[in-house]
Amino acid sequence: MKPENPFLLERSLVVGVVDEAPGVKTYTLRLSSSYSAEPGQFNMIYIYGLGEVPLSISSPPLKRGSFTYVEHTARAVGAVTGAILSRVSTGSLVGLRGPYGRGWPLREAEGRDLVVLAGGIGLAPLRPVIKCVESSRDAFGRLNILYGARSPEYLLYKYELEEYARIPNTKLLLSSDTASPSWSYHVGFVTDLIEYIDVDVGDSVVFVCGPEAMMRTSVKKLLNRGFRSDQIYVSLERRMRCGVGVCGTCQLGHYFVCRDGPVFSISELGEYFWIEGI
Amino acid sequence: MKKLMLEFKKLLGDPVFLGYKRGSTIPVFDEIRSISELPLEISDVQKPGKYEIVEGFRFRHSHSSPKWYLLPPEQVILTISPSYDAIDSGVSEGRRAVLFGVKPCDLKAIAVLDKILLDKHPVYTAKRRGIVGVVVEECMEPGGTCFCASVNSGPIVESGFDVAYARLDKETLLLKPGSDIGRQVLKSMGLERASSEYTELYKQMVGRAIDSMKRKLPDLERAQRALRGLASSQEFWEEISKKCIGCGNCNYVCPTCFCTEFIDRVGENHAERVATWIGCLTYTYGLVAGGHFRKQLYMRYRHYTLHKFLYYPLQTGGLLGCVGCGRCITWCPIGLDLIENLSRVLKVKNVEA
Repeated sequence: MKPENPFLLERSLVVGVVDEAPGVKTYTLRLSSSYSAEPGQFNMIYIYGLGEVPLSISSPPLKRGSFTYVEHTARAVGAVTGAILSRVSTGSLVGLRGPYGRGWPLREAEGRDLVVLAGGIGLAPLRPVIKCVESSRDAFGRLNILYGARSPEYLLYKYELEEYARIPNTKLLLSSDTASPSWSYHVGFVTDLIEYIDVDVGDSVVFVCGPEAMMRTSVKKLLNRGFRSDQIYVSLERRMRCGVGVCGTCQLGHYFVCRDGPVFSISELGEYFWIEGI
Repeated sequence: MKKLMLEFKKLLGDPVFLGYKRGSTIPVFDEIRSISELPLEISDVQKPGKYEIVEGFRFRHSHSSPKWYLLPPEQVILTISPSYDAIDSGVSEGRRAVLFGVKPCDLKAIAVLDKILLDKHPVYTAKRRGIVGVVVEECMEPGGTCFCASVNSGPIVESGFDVAYARLDKETLLLKPGSDIGRQVLKSMGLERASSEYTELYKQMVGRAIDSMKRKLPDLERAQRALRGLASSQEFWEEISKKCIGCGNCNYVCPTCFCTEFIDRVGENHAERVATWIGCLTYTYGLVAGGHFRKQLYMRYRHYTLHKFLYYPLQTGGLLGCVGCGRCITWCPIGLDLIENLSRVLKVKNVEA
């Protein structure tokens, strides 16, 4: 019997592109209507002849007519993402397979307060969380959004960012590592904002995504503020090729980050979170 | 041996036979078309960093293993057009095959790979599902770097095979069935029941084989505990990996290493997506465009060791990732000895205790 091939790609049409920051764009992809995904999951995006990259899904899938639309925010760092940024535009085709991985435990957050803490492009996988909370606002308690980038121009979703503050019962705290004339928010690291978190520490969950060093500092500070390690979740990045736990390149300790993650609680990660290169 | 092959052929409807095939140099795991291709009249001499084929009748294994067939160095997983149409799904049905003359350590390695890849990796799954028979050669004289007895994967087999044979001497085979197919095969071969003289000799030889393995892991659980305690000690891993050159040979010859990298091979009007082996000891393992998750060699050496002894059991429901075949020791260009290093793990932890 011929086994199913998990590496088959769906052809996807790019129907929109938005400039976000230097070297960062958001692409809207059109997929078949059967597609669905949870916040925090990712797709493998394939560029013909170059290869695939894992990209987190940065919007809740939107069903319209016979299609589903999802957004991906990509930054040019390597060959494939570089090709995406320079070559892919509205009307382009890309290959896609997914969604993969275990996303944010939104169910866990229901009825409790929620802190969303993101650095730089780390807001991309958390944006669907914010949108989901917004659309079922009563299901959650207070929402705190802490977001920072190295400078104001590197913030994502500037066209809607300040509107997050208008979501009922929501506190939005922004930061920029460097000062700039028009910047009226905090100057410093996003992790500085942790002291201004205004939630019920004992009955809340925290979702963190950003560079690994930023996440480590965040988790230390959150633990110091009294959050338990099973209340704090991070989304990890690794070298990923297959998305289904067979290529082995994303291993972190005994976990396959692509399949068992990319979202983990700090208690699940244990020492893996702290030992460099494990 | 010829009869054995013939009976399998008859019973299973002309399958292909896969085994260690004698070539002009070192045997590799491949299709066996006649009995003369089996490495029955050679032996291997294995030492850390050394491998040699000599005359004899005790061939153990080579750099090659059943992994060469089940998860080959290159696996085409998809062929795709520039407009993103799949031209070929890359997965075909596996050939009906009998593994012939594989070693107990090989069999254990397949059990390990099954836990990770079966029904998940399409190429592995297709080939693995095509295996309809397994004939094992038990090891009456282990090789120079073997330590299967320390990790419970040899030198004999208890289950998971159809027929196992032991070469008591150059001419005498002692066979045992491990399944209904095996019983049927042995029955139609018209063999006599072995006298107690032979079964006693067999038992003695197995005992001697176990005793003769120079490399021993005295206490696996203690070693695992020690490794757990040392996971965060950068100093220890730097010291223990000092000689390693990060070539990845150990990964490629290891019958359980399964990590692959995906590359695109571009043709005129199509691209092949190809999975190729990647060794965790090599620099690219953990490298991403924006950084490196295992930049230092000690980190990759640590992953290799901890994966084999701590993480595989968690990923497979209890099976070690090391089957004691000793290939990583033999084929290491500088002869780094995994067992010696594990003994050092125990010593360090003893000192600290």
